[in-house]
Amino acid sequence: MTNGLVLAILGAALAALLAGIGSAKGVGLVGEAAAGVVSVDPSKFSKVLILELLPGTQGLYGLLTAILMLSRVGVIGGSPAELTMAQGWSFFIAALPIAVVGLISAIFQGKTAAAGVGITAKKPEHNGKGIIMAAMVETYAILALLVSILLTYNINI
Amino acid sequence: MSTKYANAVAAIRAMENSLLSRNDLDQLINTATKTERENIVASKRGSGAEELTLEGVWETIRAYAPDCRELEILLYRNDFHNLKAALKSMIAGKEPQGYYIRPTNLDLDALYPALSAKDYEQLPEYVRGTAEEAYELLTRTLDGQLADSLVDTACMRAMQRAAEKSGSDFMRKYAQLTTVCADIKTAYRCSRMKKQRSFIETAVCGSDALDKDSLVRASLGGTEGLFAYLEATSYGDAAKLLAESPAKFEKWCDDVIMELAEGARMEAFGADPLAAYFIAAEAELKNLRIISVCKESGTDRETITERMRKLYV
Repeated sequence: MTNGLVLAILGAALAALLAGIGSAKGVGLVGEAAAGVVSVDPSKFSKVLILELLPGTQGLYGLLTAILMLSRVGVIGGSPAELTMAQGWSFFIAALPIAVVGLISAIFQGKTAAAGVGITAKKPEHNGKGIIMAAMVETYAILALLVSILLTYNINI
Repeated sequence: MSTKYANAVAAIRAMENSLLSRNDLDQLINTATKTERENIVASKRGSGAEELTLEGVWETIRAYAPDCRELEILLYRNDFHNLKAALKSMIAGKEPQGYYIRPTNLDLDALYPALSAKDYEQLPEYVRGTAEEAYELLTRTLDGQLADSLVDTACMRAMQRAAEKSGSDFMRKYAQLTTVCADIKTAYRCSRMKKQRSFIETAVCGSDALDKDSLVRASLGGTEGLFAYLEATSYGDAAKLLAESPAKFEKWCDDVIMELAEGARMEAFGADPLAAYFIAAEAELKNLRIISVCKESGTDRETITERMRKLYV
């Protein structure tokens, strides 16, 4: 295994790790708020559940990027590529957009969605507005995912 | 942005739905019988819901946010009232239980025995010194009014200190507004009763919003002097209402606190929405009491509507 390949694996791990941490924090925060509402009014469970799921997507984007990257370098498939340091750094850098943006956006999306839980609690008919507001944060996670995938697929091996 | 109390705030938001709205109050004002009023309130709360009491609201808030110490400031007035009740009961040789107000931060079972044994160390730090001082004053002068004033002033000071320590803007403003309202009321009473400077100095607390020395000087000049001074401060509107009637001023006091609470309606996290809910429940219970008393005494609808306190929802 070359040092280049180690860097590429490190990048893939970071993508899954940081985005996953962000999602865990975001989902956890919304879960706290959602549990507060459900403890008073259990009928609102399904509505708050949608909000709770939203910050979980960043973790999935991180996982997706990690799998694509590991597949690209041949770790998944059983024939690891002999990567140079330059190629290894390229994969590492390709992982950064979703790793960093995934972490931050999931936390902020969690805060927005937790605030949206308050809307659902007081005005359940306006639940959709809370979802839209939280979903806006998702845009930046999607953009970061796109950049990470484009970079991953455009590195010459 | 702190995300503290996300769980508690969300639960409180759900509970706010069972608070009475302006429409509900209008309906209550238009009722003819107590049963009708009870039915309206029961339908708002939902079937099987417990009766709204401040004690219940406090227990709920503490169940969701047990570590939120800054909320304790909301009960300081009750705490110091209970201190007065225990002191006076001790002097009069009566049982204090019937005079206590709940909810309170104090251990009411331990309060009377602690005062009787002069074991002030058993009391929380913020009432300790006041308890000792008030007991000494009461036994030396037997002047209940003076001792009351001392305890009331100490309460305001304790609120201001605790609010400052908490670092919460909401609590700082709450303590300041509560002090201003209490000070204006006290200064007005003192000026009407032509109290001596030494008494007024004990009875008025003072705050950043209303300077103690100026207020004492103004109340020594009678009600005219007091109103003239207040007109020159940012509490000119309150002075006008007080000049019209003390009841209107009382309503103003409750409404400014509610205006402060309204700011917390937009907040998703932190202790402010929890404090605001407690204040909202206080206002609702006061409104229900006013409606009930006014209806019993046959007061007309317009007068009852005028007396209604601002609502949170």
